[in-house]
Amino acid sequence: MSQSIEGLQKRFDEDFAAITDMDTWKSVRDKFLAREGGIITTGMKRLRELPKEERPVFGQAMNRLRSSVEKQLQERYAELKKAAITGGQRHLDVTRPGFPYALGSAHPIKRLQADIEQILVNMGFRLFDLPEVERDYYNFEALNMPPNHPARDEQDTFYFDDTMLLRTHCTSVDVHAMEGLRPPIRAASTGKVYRRDPFDATHSPMFYQVDVVVIDEGITMGDMKGMLEVFLKQVFHSDIKMRLRPGFFPFVEPGAEVDISCIFCNGAGCPTCKQSGWIEILGAGMCHPKVLRMSGIDDSRYTGFAWGMGIDRVPMLKYGVEDIRLLFDNDLRFLEQF
Amino acid sequence: MKISTEWLAEYVEIRESPQKLKDDLSMIGLLVEAIEEAEGTSILEVEVTSNRPDCLSHIGIARELAALYDRPLRFPETQETLRIESDRIPFEIEIRDPELCPRYTALVLDGIRVGESPDWMQRRLVAAGMRPLNNIVDITNYVLLEMGHPLHAFDYDILRQARIVVAKARNGEKMYTLDGVERELDADMLLINDGEGPVAIAGVMGGMESEISLSTTRVLLESAYFRPDSIRRTSKKLGLSTESSYRFERGADWNNTVPAAGRVCRLVEQLAGGRIAGNIQDVYPKKKEPVCIELKRENASSLIGVTMEREFIESTLSRLNFKLEENGTDSWSVTCPTYRADMELEADLIEELARFYGYQNIPTTLPPCRNVGRYSPVYKLENTIREILIGLGFNEAINLSFADESDSEEFSTGSDERVGVRNPLTEDMKYMRTVLAPGLVRSVKRNFNMDRRLVRLFEIGKVYRRGPDGTPKERNMLGIIGTGGFTEQNWKQPDASFDFFHMKGTLLTILRGLRIHSYEIEPTDAFRWLNPTDAAVLEIDRKQVGVMGSLSASLEEKYKLRQPAFLAEIEFESLAENAFAPMNFEPLPRYPSSERDISIVVSRDLAYRKIQTCVADIKIAELVKIALVDVYEGDKIPSGKVSLTLRLTFQDRGKTLTVDRVQDFVDTVLSSLYKTYGAELRSK
Repeated sequence: MSQSIEGLQKRFDEDFAAITDMDTWKSVRDKFLAREGGIITTGMKRLRELPKEERPVFGQAMNRLRSSVEKQLQERYAELKKAAITGGQRHLDVTRPGFPYALGSAHPIKRLQADIEQILVNMGFRLFDLPEVERDYYNFEALNMPPNHPARDEQDTFYFDDTMLLRTHCTSVDVHAMEGLRPPIRAASTGKVYRRDPFDATHSPMFYQVDVVVIDEGITMGDMKGMLEVFLKQVFHSDIKMRLRPGFFPFVEPGAEVDISCIFCNGAGCPTCKQSGWIEILGAGMCHPKVLRMSGIDDSRYTGFAWGMGIDRVPMLKYGVEDIRLLFDNDLRFLEQF
Repeated sequence: MKISTEWLAEYVEIRESPQKLKDDLSMIGLLVEAIEEAEGTSILEVEVTSNRPDCLSHIGIARELAALYDRPLRFPETQETLRIESDRIPFEIEIRDPELCPRYTALVLDGIRVGESPDWMQRRLVAAGMRPLNNIVDITNYVLLEMGHPLHAFDYDILRQARIVVAKARNGEKMYTLDGVERELDADMLLINDGEGPVAIAGVMGGMESEISLSTTRVLLESAYFRPDSIRRTSKKLGLSTESSYRFERGADWNNTVPAAGRVCRLVEQLAGGRIAGNIQDVYPKKKEPVCIELKRENASSLIGVTMEREFIESTLSRLNFKLEENGTDSWSVTCPTYRADMELEADLIEELARFYGYQNIPTTLPPCRNVGRYSPVYKLENTIREILIGLGFNEAINLSFADESDSEEFSTGSDERVGVRNPLTEDMKYMRTVLAPGLVRSVKRNFNMDRRLVRLFEIGKVYRRGPDGTPKERNMLGIIGTGGFTEQNWKQPDASFDFFHMKGTLLTILRGLRIHSYEIEPTDAFRWLNPTDAAVLEIDRKQVGVMGSLSASLEEKYKLRQPAFLAEIEFESLAENAFAPMNFEPLPRYPSSERDISIVVSRDLAYRKIQTCVADIKIAELVKIALVDVYEGDKIPSGKVSLTLRLTFQDRGKTLTVDRVQDFVDTVLSSLYKTYGAELRSK
């Protein structure tokens, strides 16, 4: 009996030594341990054929053999596996390019527009998607620009007929919001605006703007400054400085031009800011009492402010895009950079 | 407005450097865009906003600086008394339209020697951007730049009658203006007439005939006030903007007509040897009163957001030449200088206070937020679509919203819904776009020109169509275009081209992202810009919301694309109702599912959807998914047939499915397909 166990052990040792890869490992395992026909498995099954008194001794010996075989095979398996991973025969040239999954890009204007909308919603603004084809009333008259107002000159306008035009700014949100909502109002709108400018490096007949309006009791210029600062720091950078200068827009009084410290030189002076350290970024002001009244807001009780900013200018500034036409050329070499 | 610092210093003491002036002026609302160094002076390029015509002169700027630095303003020498110094030369003024011309001041100067103006004057004119002509014209221009009041000099001897008639033109009346152009006038334009015919377009430009020449010896000088909107209309209609019209249309100072005329007289006496030959005539039929505004301290403080001290209010406004009269506690009646055309309401005065308080000194505060932010309905749709398409490899495009004549023909859907722009920028921008496709096709073409043949773009933007009531209506659209390879050329996978099913898959992925679960895709031939062979519409709730397909062969040829391009156009705003269906959680199944692949051979004309419907109609509750995993057409099956391999997934939520039960299901499916469409199991 003990001889046959030794013989088994010997046969296994020989085969085991010949294992070189997973395939030979598998055949050795099956030869000795397969559920059907494995040498050791079969040996175990044949225990029953032995005389009763020999069974315990032989049985124990077979069990020992089986566990040692299992243990050796297991260890060898781990070794082979490790070899396969760390430089075995299935070695990949990992320096070849990976699969080129396509990834597109958001247009820099649209990305910024979405960011701005998110910032404004977080500041309590309700966003409106307003018509680009607008009535003269909402674009000009209700904003204190009656026909023949000189300020209309600065906004050369595309007309469809005597009353319908392509909006020249998003400021129409002021009027729509005042007509449609009751104070307290925080409303904003972003989108395309149009001016009849030639299409060249610095002008486009179509561009993007964001306009906001806030109306409540006791709103002050200080409040306007505060909210502008929160907004601009989120759009640009928390370190920027802001500066307000008196400015003129017919729909606000007092009016303001808002500058930010140059994002390139931090105010030290560089070609982008024409050495001034400041970049003109938006127009703002306290809602003109006439504008409030025309849209049905009691100007003896409520005050408010409004501001409007060009969106296209921001990526142009940020990324140093010098020709505005690039924004509307849809050249992949441009779009893929964002 | 070009302001020379050397000239400015005549009216107010300047101790500041040009740079300091630039900063200080900018902070009170007179933005200095640039400083230019010139001989003996610095030129400040001041951007004067349209509400401040009073700052369109050196004295105007000096007035602001005098108020800012609290220094006295020095007025130039004028001929104040306007004595008669020679024989009276007669003339008459008649204002027929006092609404449009409330004041007309004029006088005649005699004994003039027309020649060059002195160097110092020429230098100043040139520095301010004007071309010297002769001493008389130069003097009127000089006074314009100095005092801001437009003036005009007529050659008295050329006037056919010694009369000035201010009246509207007759329709079709014609005259040559100083620039040598024949102008056709209409009844809306105000003219200066000599009793026989026009000699000037009031406030805009003089006539060529009565122009000052070297032989002029007698001059009739006009110093008038014309109503801003009238001048503006005339200037616009004629397309003629002059230094004069620029100031009148913004608002001149009606009290400045006499001082400006006096100043011209003084300079003519000094530089051109002339004398006043007759009384000044000042016809002022409609007396204008200065604007008077009530100001309350409390209102100023609460609008600006900081307490305005009495002393500050009084001293600031006084320095700016406003007259304050107290009419209650902390309340004033404020009379505005007549040159301040921008003064109308209390807010205008408050701006003056804020300007001189310094916007930078106003403390920054945040108002309490009493609103909850909310996106517009389009926002979420648009941004979800954008993120999905970016993930699928599309780049976002933006095209101009305009279209040309051929676009609307080639991409029309039948009835003419185009919206025409009345004053288009160029011929190819005559219309508003009715579809996004043309812009996307041209964008693709531009990329082809750069040797980029794999192009995938999308655009989210509006299209514009005439509504049933005739007014333009706009809709939010999504346009997609894909052409070239499905992926970049690579070693890993053979190159597949972007085709119809990639476009369809793109759309279905978007619908999945929007959680729109029920829709139909139907073939169509209603779009002439798409090939009828593969065009399809997307329908939701039986409403057509989009279309997709390949660009028609003729357009592919027109744009010389030389490879198929696949397009889709979705009116995504109308998806809002169906999008973002609530998310429902279903407990995960506790028992394994079973998959079976069956390959059937059917006629190639049989739509796949019919097979799907046929299988679904058997209503095997355990059949949870049908997928088409292979399609074969070729030698191994009869011609006219197609082999489809369907993968059926079965799942019983209550127990493990037995092999026999699954086989029963498969047999049921096969026999139903066989009975309905003669589908045969494909033999291996």
